[in-house]
Amino acid sequence: MDFNIPEDMKMVQTLTRDFVKNQLIPLERQVLGRDSDIVGARRTLPQDTEEKLVKIVQDMGLWGLSVPESLGGVGLGVLGTCLVEEELAKTIIPFNFGDVTPVLFDCNEQQKVEYLLPLLERKKNTCLALTEPGEGINQIQMEMKAEKLNGDYVLNGKKIAFTSRQPDFAIVFAVTDSQKGVRGGTTCFLVDKDIAGFSIVGGEEMTGWRAQVPVPLTLLFNNCRVDADKILGQEGKAFSLGGKYLPARRIVRGARCIGAAVRLLDVCVEHAKSWQSFGKVISDWPTIQLALADIAIDIHAARLLVYDAACKADEGKDIHHEAAMVKAFSTEMLKRVADRTVLVKGGPAPARELPLEMLCQSLLMQNFGERALEVQKYIIAGNILKLGTII
Amino acid sequence: MPLRVQTDVKEIEAVLHDILSTPLPPVARCRLLSSGFSAGHALDVSENIAGVKACLGCGNCIDICPVLSREPKRREKTEQRTSMALENLVGEDCDRCYACVMSCPQVDTTIKHYIVNRRMVEVMSRIQDRIGDAGEPDIDLFFEEALNGN
Repeated sequence: MDFNIPEDMKMVQTLTRDFVKNQLIPLERQVLGRDSDIVGARRTLPQDTEEKLVKIVQDMGLWGLSVPESLGGVGLGVLGTCLVEEELAKTIIPFNFGDVTPVLFDCNEQQKVEYLLPLLERKKNTCLALTEPGEGINQIQMEMKAEKLNGDYVLNGKKIAFTSRQPDFAIVFAVTDSQKGVRGGTTCFLVDKDIAGFSIVGGEEMTGWRAQVPVPLTLLFNNCRVDADKILGQEGKAFSLGGKYLPARRIVRGARCIGAAVRLLDVCVEHAKSWQSFGKVISDWPTIQLALADIAIDIHAARLLVYDAACKADEGKDIHHEAAMVKAFSTEMLKRVADRTVLVKGGPAPARELPLEMLCQSLLMQNFGERALEVQKYIIAGNILKLGTII
Repeated sequence: MPLRVQTDVKEIEAVLHDILSTPLPPVARCRLLSSGFSAGHALDVSENIAGVKACLGCGNCIDICPVLSREPKRREKTEQRTSMALENLVGEDCDRCYACVMSCPQVDTTIKHYIVNRRMVEVMSRIQDRIGDAGEPDIDLFFEEALNGN
């Protein structure tokens, strides 16, 4: 049992930490806007700033962090990705090290050249079109249909997708075999934006308070004809895509929660040391110290969970159980830490123009897809009931 | 408050299913399917009043309705606190949370049990559907990925 981070991973961690501190955090004012009424807030960085940052990351050799080497990325393991993402989550700047959804890793040679590599080189942008509007809790009933017609597929339906930039192509999930239902009869298509019958609504650049609320794009498909060679993976096997990589993403999202919590702790400590009440620095008050200790315990526990799960993933073990634990714990952890932070900061919830709220908001949204936390607990309980308590 | 012998849900399951699947506050129709007022709770005219399924006007359903809590302005339309008022105020905007049925003193416990066991668990089992068994894909992972868009 070795709890030390390997030396090479430590280097990556330090590199990213410096990058976040020196390059990203100074940009926060640009994203949040300089006025207290957040009128100048934006959702994305300006194009040239972003390109500059990408160049720096490419020079660091970390662009395309978790993309396998065979597909043109760095191929860093899960632990390395967790360390990097943890650092990146300390800021609200919408920036990542060339993150590509693992769903695309199962593309064929032609699709790799046409879609994956341009995506990695930032020449194209994409969105994952899976959820449909008005579905509520019953997401498993997909209404979007793709019918086979003379070797091609005709797509009809409506999707919503979250992305910060206008997509050049969409990764669309549609039911091709309604007999088999969603699980066995869903196929994944790569649909270019300029194809006839496909239109995108929304996605305008938002400023002010609206920039802080992620608004999904609406994708409309009206008799949209797609070639059979645009199928990603195999027909009817959409939910087998990215099988090897997807469970580990849950661990990485846990690492992001830790990053945000560490930033909140930093803010707390800074505030506690500099603020005075009743003639004393507030860090002298026991309640404040208790809150700080609570946060630190939470962060450490989550970190051990995440690193343990990440190491197991790197060893190639099945991590479904661990990943579920990471997600259930780290999301709740971030909520608790945010609550303690409000206590230390005192008074009403943190102001909108500070990065605190945004930090938690985006992470909690990612993790709270519906009642996903309960689902994690079902996974854990299912394993305990099946395999016993020794896991 | 309903009578000791209450409606057997098996007899009304089909119509109950329809009612619960209609986007309207279901409380009034559930009340009419119930057994009605019990003699034990009646005052001096017990023979006459037992079995009456009328709305008592207690206003529980109006108070608990999430649609009206979100949009209190709707309440200004009327001062009535009956289930009919609820239907008029909420109409097809009903969330179908069934809180109104649960809070109605006139609805049979058999119906309430049915909703708790069938309707609410049904929702939970749909969530469980998304996990998948061993070897089956975990569809939730894809939803997380979709929400995560860069």
